[in-house]
Amino acid sequence: MEHWVYTFYINGHAVSVNLDTIFTMWFAMGVVIAFAILATRNLSLIPNKIQALGESIMKFFYGTLDTMIEGKNREHVPLVASLFLFILTANLMGQLPLRIIHLKQGEIASPTNDINLTAAMAVIVLLYYVFMGIKAKGAKFFIHDFSFTGIVMALVEVLEMFTRPLSLAIRLFANIFAGEILVSIALGSMAYFLPLPIMLFEILVAFIQATVFMMLTIAYIGSAVKEEH
Amino acid sequence: MDTTTISQMAHLGAGIAIGFGAVGAGLGIGFATKGLMDAVSRQPEVAGKAFGFFLLGAALSEACALYAFVIAFMLLGK
Repeated sequence: MEHWVYTFYINGHAVSVNLDTIFTMWFAMGVVIAFAILATRNLSLIPNKIQALGESIMKFFYGTLDTMIEGKNREHVPLVASLFLFILTANLMGQLPLRIIHLKQGEIASPTNDINLTAAMAVIVLLYYVFMGIKAKGAKFFIHDFSFTGIVMALVEVLEMFTRPLSLAIRLFANIFAGEILVSIALGSMAYFLPLPIMLFEILVAFIQATVFMMLTIAYIGSAVKEEH
Repeated sequence: MDTTTISQMAHLGAGIAIGFGAVGAGLGIGFATKGLMDAVSRQPEVAGKAFGFFLLGAALSEACALYAFVIAFMLLGK
C-alpha cells in the first residue's frame, strides 16, 4: 500500500513523485494506446474482430452521450472515452499478479490506488467542464440572473466546483484502495479458492467505477453546457 | 494524554468511523435494491436497463462508506 517515493529538489523546494504510480500509469496508457492503434489499423467496411470491438466500445460512448447531453455532444467523446478506457485498464491492472515483482519500496498494483492520480483526473474534468460551460454560455455560466436567488445559486455552484472534483477523486481512489486491502486480507485469512469470489467482485467494481467516473463526467459537462430556459 | 492513549483513541475512532459510515451506505444500497425490485416486478421487461442504473446508484452510495473507510485508514496511521 505504500508508494515508492522519490524526492528531488528544484531550487531548494522538495518535489516528491511516486515512481510506482508513474510506471503503472504509463503501462496502462500504453495498453490503451496499443489497443487504439490496433483497432484503427486497416479499417474496412467489413470489420475484423478488433475493429468490431472498438466500434462497439465507441457505440457505447455515443449511446451514453446521446442519453445525457442534448444537441452537439460528439466533441466530448475524446475526453470521456479516454477517461473510461484508461480508468478501466488501470483498475483491472490491480487484479493482475504484478505484486510478485518486488520493488525497492511499494508495489506494482493499479495506478488508481494513488490519490494523486485520481485527483489529477478530477481536476482535468473540472477544467474541461468549466471551459465548456464558458464556451457555451459565456459569463452566464457563473451567474444566471442578478437576483437574490441567482447570487445564492452562483455561490452554491462555486462551492460545487470544489466538492465535485473532491468526491470524484476520493470515490475512485477509495474504491480501488479498499478493494486491494480487501483482497489482501482475504488472501491472508482464507484458504485455497475462497478469496476468488472477492477478486471477481473487484473486477466488477473496476468496471462500475470506470462507468461511474465517466457518467459523472458526462453529467457535469451536460449541466455545464445545458441551455437555460 | 500520552502517545499510547492517543493511538488507542485513534483506533477506537477508526472503528466508529467505518461503522457509522457503513450504516448509511447499507441503507442506500437497500433502498436502491428496493427500487430495482419494485421496477422489475411491475415491468419485468426493463430488468436489464434498470439493473445498470441500480449498479450506478449502488456504487454512488457505496462511495459514502468508502469515504469513511479512508478516514478510518488515516486514523489507523496515528
